[in-house]
Amino acid sequence: MFFLRICLMALRSLRIHPLRTILATLGVVIGVSAVVSAMAILEGTRSQVSDRFATLGSAKLFIFPGQRRDRGRSVGNINTLKLSDADEIAARCKSVRNVSPQINAPALVKFLSANTTAQVLGTSETYADINSYNVEDGRFIRREDIIGEVSVAVLGHKVKQELFRGRPAVGEVIKISGLMGTRAFRVVGVMEKKGNIGFTDVDQQVVIPVTTAMKKLLGFDGLQFILCDAVSPSTEDIDKAKFEIKQVLRQRHRIRPGQSDDFEVQAQGEFLKQFNQMQNIFAVVLYSIAGISLVVGGIGIMNIMLVAVTERTREIGVRMAMGAQRGDVLQQFLIEAGFVSFLGGGLGVLLGWGMATLLESLTRILVTSTTSFAIILALSMATLTGIVSGIYPAYKAAGLDPVEALRYE
Amino acid sequence: MVIRIRELRKHYVMGDTVVRALDGVDLDVAQGEFIAITGPSGSGKSTMMHLIGCLDRPTSGIYQLDGEMVSEMNDRELAIVRNRKIGFVFQTFNLIQRTTAVDNVAVPLFYARRTQVREPAMRALQRVGLDHRAHHKPNELSGGERQRVAIARGIVNDPKILLADEPTGNLDTRTGRQIMDIFHDLHRSGVTIVLVTHELSVALQARRIVRMRDGRILDDRPVDDALRRELTTTTLVPESAEEPEPARGAAPPLARPVRV
Repeated sequence: MFFLRICLMALRSLRIHPLRTILATLGVVIGVSAVVSAMAILEGTRSQVSDRFATLGSAKLFIFPGQRRDRGRSVGNINTLKLSDADEIAARCKSVRNVSPQINAPALVKFLSANTTAQVLGTSETYADINSYNVEDGRFIRREDIIGEVSVAVLGHKVKQELFRGRPAVGEVIKISGLMGTRAFRVVGVMEKKGNIGFTDVDQQVVIPVTTAMKKLLGFDGLQFILCDAVSPSTEDIDKAKFEIKQVLRQRHRIRPGQSDDFEVQAQGEFLKQFNQMQNIFAVVLYSIAGISLVVGGIGIMNIMLVAVTERTREIGVRMAMGAQRGDVLQQFLIEAGFVSFLGGGLGVLLGWGMATLLESLTRILVTSTTSFAIILALSMATLTGIVSGIYPAYKAAGLDPVEALRYE
Repeated sequence: MVIRIRELRKHYVMGDTVVRALDGVDLDVAQGEFIAITGPSGSGKSTMMHLIGCLDRPTSGIYQLDGEMVSEMNDRELAIVRNRKIGFVFQTFNLIQRTTAVDNVAVPLFYARRTQVREPAMRALQRVGLDHRAHHKPNELSGGERQRVAIARGIVNDPKILLADEPTGNLDTRTGRQIMDIFHDLHRSGVTIVLVTHELSVALQARRIVRMRDGRILDDRPVDDALRRELTTTTLVPESAEEPEPARGAAPPLARPVRV
């Protein structure tokens, strides 16, 4: 009851100077909105990334080509990863399954007058099975297509829709413009609607044989990466798979003992770890900015409370004459400071949420998620800032001499 | 005795000199009395009011209020005494702005941690005949009405004494008379009133006048015809009293109390 009345009193003093109060809380508003939007972005990307990784399965290994380093200098070719490497890994590494060589690039795809931009993926016949990605019409690419470097293509669901609408696509000839110029491809299959596999929207993808992609369309000598699975997501199996892959590749690439690898094998967990590290750096930067603006906000609150104490010296004197104890006066100003700051925090939450939503709709890539935890955290930080900043002014008010305060003009 | 004061002193240091605002005062006030403390500026009556009102502590001496040794209390205890036993009425009303009359009256109840505040506050407003203006804010009230709200606030806690400091000082004669009528009514209903004023006509409405000069009590007499005649013919309360007081208090703002 007493507390409630003090809150009402705080509200009354806000109503007296609304503009002044809003200006005073600006720092808190900005600080809180920074906290809220930063948390929304971090939380959004975190859940997005882990969702995407989840579609890959948890035992995924990535093999990248890398330049060999010798005495600190890069030596050799970047195109170190060959299709035969993928075949050898599949054949010889017992702890590795689902080997899928990949090369991809965005390209313009045309059928008659219709055209669309699609991600062209050159891969092997195992890709569909590995990702349990099924053909809706026709067939997937086959081993023979790869060996023969045949110009056949399997369309993603959306690509088919954009080029053919309702008409059947299988058997038609489309044109794909890659780095080596435009080539005709015969459509042999159309895939089901799937959404994302990893970080790619496979519905907007055209799959062609990896050999055709390398030699005839994109002009790459090597693979961009090889995807494969360890037999289980356990650390031992992943380490074992990595060891086997390294052994096979080092042998094939004729790397002598003591020389560094010309490739890189990374498990999904390591990616997540790297991603988390990056995110942590990002978070530290964002939270520091938020922290600084909260400190500035706190100074704003302290300033306005000092003004309020001076302005209301007479009132404080009257309240003391009426029997207000020093503790009551202290409490009143602390609550008022906390309350002002809390309201600023509320405004900041709205602003931060709005900023995050706006950012999401503007960029169309960034996914944000404003959690209730973030809101509660931001509001309590704001209130705490207010109370801490209110301590000195409140202490000053409570320390007034009633006689002097009553005499104050 | 509601008030029992013995050898009360209050000294301030101002630069090199010691100002003896109160220099050994003895005073007894009984329950139900209506007493006026009067004197020119600098006579010590404001200091007297602050001490009687428990807003300040004496340098030395004894002050008992309703049997309690107020002169030895700490800040917190003094606040409680002010809340329970003293009602204040000020020259400048000192209502809290932007707060309705009834909420202003309820302030002492609020600090007494009472949960029921509306009803007693309304009753107090009724006693000063202002219940119909209960939901108006001070800036919507006339000077006389504001002072009546302040009186209602002064009596809402049923205090042992109602301490009024120049209650008519900021009002015109007619309104001042109305306010004095309220004090008479309250006195008749048993409230002990201590009125601090430099206006002779106001002081004469009390039943007893204590005249002060230079921090001491000059005389302390019941108001009777003899006193009335004497005060209206001679001017024992001198001319300076007719001017408005510069600051409400004997001690200038920079003065600091001393402990002896």
